[in-house]
Amino acid sequence: MILANYIVSFILIALGLLVLCTQKNLIKVVLGLGIMDYGVNLLIVSAGFNEGGTAPIYTLSELLSGVPSTFFVAPVPQALTLTSIVIGACVDAMALAIVIMIKKRYGTIDADEVRRLRG
Amino acid sequence: MNMIQHFPVLAVMTLFLGAFLIEILGRNQIVRNALAFAAVSISMVLLICLIRPVLLEGQVISYWMGGWKPVANYAIGIGYEVDALGLTFALLGITAYWLSCVYSFGYMKGKQHLGHYYTLFLMLAGASVGFFLTGDIFNMFIMMEIVTFSAVALTASNTEKTTAIEGAFKYLINCSIGSSMTLAGIALIYLNCHTLNLAQLATILPGNVNLTTLMAFALILIGFCVESAMIPFHASFVDAHTVAPSSVSMILSGMVLKLGVYGLIRISYIVFRAIDTSSLQILLTAFGTVTMFIGVTMALAQHDFKRLLAFHSVSQLGYIIAAAGLCTSLGLTGSLYHAINHTLFKGLLFLCAGAVIHATGTSDLDALGGLSKRMPKTCICFLIGAFSISGLPPFNGFVSKWMIYQAAYAKAVTTGNFYYAVVTVTALVVSVMTLASFVKVLHSVFFGQLKKEHESVHEAPGIMLFPMYIMSALCVLTGIFYKAFSTVFIGPAVFAAFNNTTYIDSMMGEGYAELFGVPALAIDKLEFSYWNPFVWFVLFVIVFAAACVVIFSSTGTRGRTLKSGGSYDSVYGTGDLSVDFMGRTYETGDPEEKYAVFFSGEKAEYSHAGGSDLFWGFKYNWHKYYQFLQGLHSGSVNDYSAYAVICIAVICMFMFLFMR
Repeated sequence: MILANYIVSFILIALGLLVLCTQKNLIKVVLGLGIMDYGVNLLIVSAGFNEGGTAPIYTLSELLSGVPSTFFVAPVPQALTLTSIVIGACVDAMALAIVIMIKKRYGTIDADEVRRLRG
Repeated sequence: MNMIQHFPVLAVMTLFLGAFLIEILGRNQIVRNALAFAAVSISMVLLICLIRPVLLEGQVISYWMGGWKPVANYAIGIGYEVDALGLTFALLGITAYWLSCVYSFGYMKGKQHLGHYYTLFLMLAGASVGFFLTGDIFNMFIMMEIVTFSAVALTASNTEKTTAIEGAFKYLINCSIGSSMTLAGIALIYLNCHTLNLAQLATILPGNVNLTTLMAFALILIGFCVESAMIPFHASFVDAHTVAPSSVSMILSGMVLKLGVYGLIRISYIVFRAIDTSSLQILLTAFGTVTMFIGVTMALAQHDFKRLLAFHSVSQLGYIIAAAGLCTSLGLTGSLYHAINHTLFKGLLFLCAGAVIHATGTSDLDALGGLSKRMPKTCICFLIGAFSISGLPPFNGFVSKWMIYQAAYAKAVTTGNFYYAVVTVTALVVSVMTLASFVKVLHSVFFGQLKKEHESVHEAPGIMLFPMYIMSALCVLTGIFYKAFSTVFIGPAVFAAFNNTTYIDSMMGEGYAELFGVPALAIDKLEFSYWNPFVWFVLFVIVFAAACVVIFSSTGTRGRTLKSGGSYDSVYGTGDLSVDFMGRTYETGDPEEKYAVFFSGEKAEYSHAGGSDLFWGFKYNWHKYYQFLQGLHSGSVNDYSAYAVICIAVICMFMFLFMR
């Protein structure tokens, strides 16, 4: 059911934001970021879904005749989702690398103690 | 199909190619610098070649990646589309990158891992220019993400500050919230319109409001508000600008924030055309007004040179967004003019801060003083930048700020809404406070007494002074030749924002815009009568001279209380003693509770407000306000996320209540 996808995707985004606001451990903060990304990815891939559609790949006969014999789901959102997954993975990797550096320099990964810049 | 069509995409590709080549060949310093300089210069030349067709002849250049042109009126491929609005921002961007690149040769000399520095620098440049030139909304998101990555890595690369890594982390989290919101908005747009091309969206979306597109608009607007450091989102940007290397701070503060401004103008003027609804105008101007006021009052309380400049950036961005939200041609002209000016003068000020840090090794205002004798050239450049940002004639800040006051007041008159009069008055007051804040910086960094440990400092090397001279010259030139400048650069950009028929036709084929009946916003003619800088210059010189006399004579007697056994002749700027308004002194480390509000900046290096603080009385009277605000700037990444979430909820609710 496609409606469930939309509801769940916004629940995931909200959960991610909740984690960002409440969790003091910086690793968990990065995980919250990841959850938010997955919610958005689910939203995009659902946007391209057609009821009863197949993968958007032409067979040779379809290609020669130029008319698809089957019904496709939209290919563009899938490409967007792949891009977005790659970007999300990069964000998480980079954020985790920075958390390691914070641990080295500050000796803690508690958000309440990592706040020398303020005021 | 002529040659010029390939220039936009080549300008972006040169920068990315340069980034990869430096990573491969950049072991040697000469090769590395030559590659970086060549990439930025070639890209700049390519963009300058576009001035004649786009800005002077009014063409719109379109380019389809891989030749994937629209089929059956549906855009499938990724297109680059250069109109006057995008090109003005791109030219501004590449100028800033060119100057910052030259400055880096001097400033970053002798640092570790410079190959990676220039790789990231060129990726940042390529992504920013690509963001301004692209005609695809998903591509805009990708460019935004590349900008975030490179900016975060460049911020974290400052090995001299232990806090750099913390600033980078907050910046990453904050920007990721913004870009996730943008991406969700883009998904909703695709769901509704089945296209991602900006030109085609501009034919479908205006006047076609349903709940999905409204939600999409709200989310994308939030994304760009985050990118342009509007008030609840600004805190982590300020942190990152403070700790980044100065050559990068200049780019982050002067250029990267403009991505959000460009995105807001592009989305609200061209793609959704929602700017002519009065509720959106009120939302944007309210955002801008609150931002400019809080930004400047926070800046007054800062004791770190770069942190103070970063808060001023937030304040100036408030001007730009508020003026863009007025939806009059004068307002948008003022907004774009101020956006360009802000890059010039804020870049200049950050470069001056960099020169001071390069010479003395500190950016703490209380530890500096009297540098005008040792660094006269930096001091002159800083004066020009400070006068520009404060809006003194004949510098450029005066022209754009004057346009903004006038546009806001004209809006108040035409709509009869008292609210816009409040905006005008706030803008004027904020400008005065900006000047006050820079008088304080001048007083504590360049004038006053030279510190013993800084007696041997030298002027910055020539390669660092050169970009500062160019920026100072540009600040003066854009202030004096305002008419020519706004006719060539700003006028076409404003026209492109209000009238998008050419934009759509050039991308989707002739007559496409007419086919869908795209409405054009009404555009009124500009008048250049009221802001002749020279007339005001005479007045301001008199007023400023009078103000200087009052300020510098009064500080001679204020708080001159010497603690017995103190090793300083005067307590100005020592930071060791805390002097209250009545002249009593307190031991360091045992401050009275009511003075705790004056601590600011980095906790590791905080200091009391010393006798050098010119605005002691003002801050004392406002201490409740400052206590509240500095409590909000708690430095915790959770708190900053919470403000962002609250603001997201408020904007979405506002949209659903007032814009349906």
